[in-house]
Amino acid sequence: MEKAKISAYQLFVLIVLFEVGSTLLIPLALDAKQDAWLTILLGMVGGFFLFLVNFRLFHYYPDILPTEYMQKIVGKSFGKFLAFLYILYFMYMAAKVVRDFGEMLITSTYPQTPLFIIIALFLVVIIYTIRKGIEVVARTGELLFLILLLLGISGTILIAISGIVDLKNLLPVLEEGIMPVLKTTFTQTLYIPFGEAVVFSMILPYLNQSKKGKRIGVYALGFSGLALTLVVAINISVLGVNLTARSQFPLLSTIQTIQIDEFLERLDVYFMLTLILGGFFKISLYFYVAVAGIANLFNFKEPSRLVYPMGIVILILSITIASNYAEHISEGTRFISLRIFLPFQVIIPVSLLIIAFFKHRKKRGK
Amino acid sequence: MKRKWFFLFLILTSTSLISGCWNARELPDLAIVSALGIDKNEDGKYVGTFQIINPSYVTGGLQGGGGGQGPPVTVYSSTGDNIYELTRRLSTKSSRTLYYAHTNLLVISEDLAKKDGITNILDAFERDYEFRTTAMIVIAHRSKAEDIIKTLTPLDKVSAVKVIKTLKNAESLLGEEPTVTLQEVIRYLVSPGKEPLISGITLIGKKKNANKVANTQESSTPQARLESDGIAVFKDGKLVDWLHGKTARGTAWVLNRIKSTIVNISWEREKPAIEYTVMRQKTKVSAHTKKGQPQISIHIHAEGDIGEVSVPVNLNDPHVLRKIEIEVAKTIKKDVNDAIHRAQENKTDILGFGEAFHRSDPKEWNKLKTNWNDVTFPKLEVNVTVEAFVRRSGLRNKSYLSELKNKR
Repeated sequence: MEKAKISAYQLFVLIVLFEVGSTLLIPLALDAKQDAWLTILLGMVGGFFLFLVNFRLFHYYPDILPTEYMQKIVGKSFGKFLAFLYILYFMYMAAKVVRDFGEMLITSTYPQTPLFIIIALFLVVIIYTIRKGIEVVARTGELLFLILLLLGISGTILIAISGIVDLKNLLPVLEEGIMPVLKTTFTQTLYIPFGEAVVFSMILPYLNQSKKGKRIGVYALGFSGLALTLVVAINISVLGVNLTARSQFPLLSTIQTIQIDEFLERLDVYFMLTLILGGFFKISLYFYVAVAGIANLFNFKEPSRLVYPMGIVILILSITIASNYAEHISEGTRFISLRIFLPFQVIIPVSLLIIAFFKHRKKRGK
Repeated sequence: MKRKWFFLFLILTSTSLISGCWNARELPDLAIVSALGIDKNEDGKYVGTFQIINPSYVTGGLQGGGGGQGPPVTVYSSTGDNIYELTRRLSTKSSRTLYYAHTNLLVISEDLAKKDGITNILDAFERDYEFRTTAMIVIAHRSKAEDIIKTLTPLDKVSAVKVIKTLKNAESLLGEEPTVTLQEVIRYLVSPGKEPLISGITLIGKKKNANKVANTQESSTPQARLESDGIAVFKDGKLVDWLHGKTARGTAWVLNRIKSTIVNISWEREKPAIEYTVMRQKTKVSAHTKKGQPQISIHIHAEGDIGEVSVPVNLNDPHVLRKIEIEVAKTIKKDVNDAIHRAQENKTDILGFGEAFHRSDPKEWNKLKTNWNDVTFPKLEVNVTVEAFVRRSGLRNKSYLSELKNKR
């Protein structure tokens, strides 16, 4: 484990940037049609629960990484196997988000640039940051969070005053009852983005005031949940459900609709900045925890040496992961949600917690 | 020291390599398309007409510099089986790559809209990353799209700008023709509870002279000119009817798209007698089911001023104002009812009543939506209530006409 400390505020910023990261940009939860915002709120509540599970585990083992406490909970060899699976999961997710990012840039602005070039250039920056350690990632986050916040606030104001919001588009609420909403929640929004916060179980041990972690985590998830709800509701009320669902990037379409007195328009740069800032942190965090996990599992003294080879693996993985954008997105939002997200984000942490709980009770009983 | 030089080298090479976009295009290689027209020729192929801005002739002559005598726009055209092909075929004629990010106007010919409908041609515009879905879409009424694109106009040199400004101006002052963007048209084409409306533009005068620079150099009305002309009503993506004047305005009332307009009312059997200007308005459309029958209620709230009187009337008297208000409300109600009847005759729900049902009663809507346009909508019972308020009467209270009457 790297010798580093991050503050409570830095953790807050990292969680928000991570949660909001790429999720702001993709069409999220639109299987629930105009109730998409509702599924995000429900997903957020589920996300609180999952975070508290991870936090409880951290509470039992405050000084070690999950890759290590898994071994203590379920035994050495099976724990190592489990930890290795988690590392693969983190790397897969890093590659997936890198691909998301590359595809978005190509579709929206650079149609002729090869995917490889865009991804490779972006990974170079990320590799550099990760080599510097989690503290640098966190400090960069502190700075860029403010920029993202400013973009968000000014963007919302611009949308509001350009008069394109038509709240009628959000009606009728619960058109086909509560079932589609619950279904979308449990197949999508619970995992993307809220369940993904399982990454932070690898970051929590670096927190300098571990007591504050619980509150900060819940606040950060709540903040990002509300921000996402707002964005989805704005997208639907500006574009209508149909167009939002047909857009590759609903937020981009919304931003392109802004027209204020013929001079303030074509604010695509808002989308681009959000895309790059969010993508950067999401990839960095997945990448970082994968590196930290491997270093911990195989007892590497200098984790930073692992960054280059793993960067190449992620680069190749991200390009071979899918042959086209449609495949990539349907894989990422539908196919893997029950097969990968459910076990890694819900089942394993919860069962680990149950076992850890009984183990600790036994100890205390003695 | 070596390390330092190495880094300096790295920074210099990377800035020169990375900063340039992969597909960078220089300004002299771009043809900025300001408007695009689509017709269909006898062979059944699409004909695209592209209005390209001629930068050196657009800049103002007053500031000296480039404002020359040439035409401010150049027009190219090409044919093809679909829209994307059109734009690529044009490369055989144009020395520059077409650039669509500034295309604000899409003109579709009436013929095409009537016979083939607009459903097949919009996808390319929505899909392309350069083209903006906020571009305004208009139908070339009684003329070809090509003629509209070719016309040169005075004052606003780029005719695309002139068309857009004229339509917006008419919308905000007269309110008869709501303007629509590409995005809205697609949204309403898809929606089962609302059909699109597109405003019309027409070329009046000598078409032959429309594309001559001389057309812009007369102080009197140019020989060929562009005027806004009605709104086109669509059903299943095909143009079925044109609305003009009061019917068009009635439609705009229902759609809550009136920004400001004038209402002409009669007074003591004289007509027209009093001009009422609507300053702000709000229309609420609500849907409900009564005894198993779907019903629509429209409530219009209008506030405004007196713009002109041509009969002696005492505007100091609140009772008189009240009478005017009632008269205004009646007139508006008549326009709205006419518009609704027209839409029902056309069997196309341009007024968005279906969407109102969808919002208020999704279960009922599920039953109604299959035959909405052809069966339910034409027989729909609609109640219109109008409340109009006169707030002010300008700088005079009584008109001098009253004094004239006393003098006699």
